[in-house]
Amino acid sequence: MIAIFRNAFSRSRGQILGWGISLGLYGLFLVQFYDTLAKQQEQIVQLLNSYPPEMMAFFGDAVNIASPAGYLSLEFFSYAPLLVGIYAVLAGSGLLAEDEEKGTLDLMLAHPVSRTGLFVGRLLAFVASAVGLLAIAWLGFVTGKRWSESFDLSGGELALPFLSLLAVVLFFGMLALLLSMLLPSRRLAATVAGLVLVASFFVVGLARINDDLKNIVRFSPLYYYQGGDAISGLNGEWFFGLLAVAALFTLLAWRRFERRDIRVGGEGGWRFIEFFYKEKQL
Amino acid sequence: MDDTLTTQNLTKSYGRVQALRGVNLEVRRGEIFGFLGPNGAGKTTTIRCLLDLIRPDGGAVRVLGLDPQKDPLAVRARAGYLPGELRLDDRFTVEGALRFLNSLRGGKADWGFVRKLAERIDLDLKASIKSLSKGNKQKVGVMQALMHRPELLLLDEPTGGLDPLVQQAVLKLIREAQAGGATIFFSSHILSEVQEIAERVAIIRQGIVVEVAETAALINRALRRARVRFRQPVDSRALTTLPGVTVLARDDGTGVLIQVEGEMDGLIKALAAFPVSDFETERPSLEEIFLAYYETK
Repeated sequence: MIAIFRNAFSRSRGQILGWGISLGLYGLFLVQFYDTLAKQQEQIVQLLNSYPPEMMAFFGDAVNIASPAGYLSLEFFSYAPLLVGIYAVLAGSGLLAEDEEKGTLDLMLAHPVSRTGLFVGRLLAFVASAVGLLAIAWLGFVTGKRWSESFDLSGGELALPFLSLLAVVLFFGMLALLLSMLLPSRRLAATVAGLVLVASFFVVGLARINDDLKNIVRFSPLYYYQGGDAISGLNGEWFFGLLAVAALFTLLAWRRFERRDIRVGGEGGWRFIEFFYKEKQL
Repeated sequence: MDDTLTTQNLTKSYGRVQALRGVNLEVRRGEIFGFLGPNGAGKTTTIRCLLDLIRPDGGAVRVLGLDPQKDPLAVRARAGYLPGELRLDDRFTVEGALRFLNSLRGGKADWGFVRKLAERIDLDLKASIKSLSKGNKQKVGVMQALMHRPELLLLDEPTGGLDPLVQQAVLKLIREAQAGGATIFFSSHILSEVQEIAERVAIIRQGIVVEVAETAALINRALRRARVRFRQPVDSRALTTLPGVTVLARDDGTGVLIQVEGEMDGLIKALAAFPVSDFETERPSLEEIFLAYYETK
């Protein structure tokens, strides 16, 4: 399992650094820019208020832009789940299915490696990658504080929305993993999980201006993402709720992976019905 | 127990496609066993069931005295496997790929032995997987299957993509593995190589094993061809009524090419009534026997 973890983690180093450094540099730039914005906040609030409310709904409460927390909410945390969600969907759907479709999983599992060992090793690598990526991004925000006079959030306060983002990454990563175990191809799993992500983002945004959506928005995973609001305190129920559902997806994906055939080209199929029945034993 | 590998009534379907329809096999300890069949006959599916990569719908499997579904790790620890469609992670070098796969076995391989193997099949350990030709990738596949000196080798088309010289080197390695006590079960559709190294063969057709026999016996007892020359034109139509005899060609009544299935006794007795000037028989290649199973059964 350690060999599997090390191999999977080292394979995702490029992604961790690419995504992490990009987000970190953006954060560094954002935090530094806060001083300039703070001086012109009246004009900027006026500008934002001139935008259509449908558009602003996706960014939360724009008036709070005067505070560092509101500023980060608007400029980053409002759409960050969409960005890191894409990473999660791609990484989660490919966690096992990518190698399966390439045919390399066949050879790996012909070695004395249990399916559970492979699953856990890959899963830990995914979690470590998500934590690493978000930690690098957080570090960019924290580093940016050095050059800002008025940005007064502590590193600990800044870490809280990243924890909320981590829950989103794990939720969508595990959803994509489960779908990749059930659907015939990785691409299809990523597409479906991606659609859930985008739909969830829009439903949450539109529910802020449309009361008819208030009833269904509770079924949207991103409803439980706090974004910049987490700076003033992480909602434990929402955070652990997302993690609990991610854990459920993980268990279902593991159960499916344990029981099903390892596919090679042309063997994939729709497995929804089979999933609910115990497979025949020899 | 003498059998290293047995399957009984092994069945497997992919949706509506029945890949295996009751495969029965017994592979003895220490033998080289060839598993013959064209693409889609069920060779790869059978081999993947032996390693618990796929789960059969029915039947029983024993590998090295173990049930692969109950003890997959124990089976895999003692077996070496070369997939039919080998795919290697192309981010590795050859050595990196072999070291990674060896780490999955707890570092069991002797690296001196690995280097010797690489030399013998002319494989550069420093080369990147990405830069390798199909044949060289196949060499890596053969090496990873052999490097931990397994008790059982499951090889799915082991010489596919290799040039004739390397094919011979690989076949030699397989023979050496057998000499070292390993049992080798390998599938192929290259009949000449099966004929060259396999002691026994099974022929699989549409998910059913239609023949299991010693390679030499199979060649000896199965179809033969006979060329008969007569001193004068004769009416040889009577020969076509003999059981197991098919007339393949005639020329102006003085020559006939006959295919005989089974014993020659009936034909020879029938020919006694004709003025035979020459009689020549030829044994078919394994390829012809194999094709005969596909044409006649």
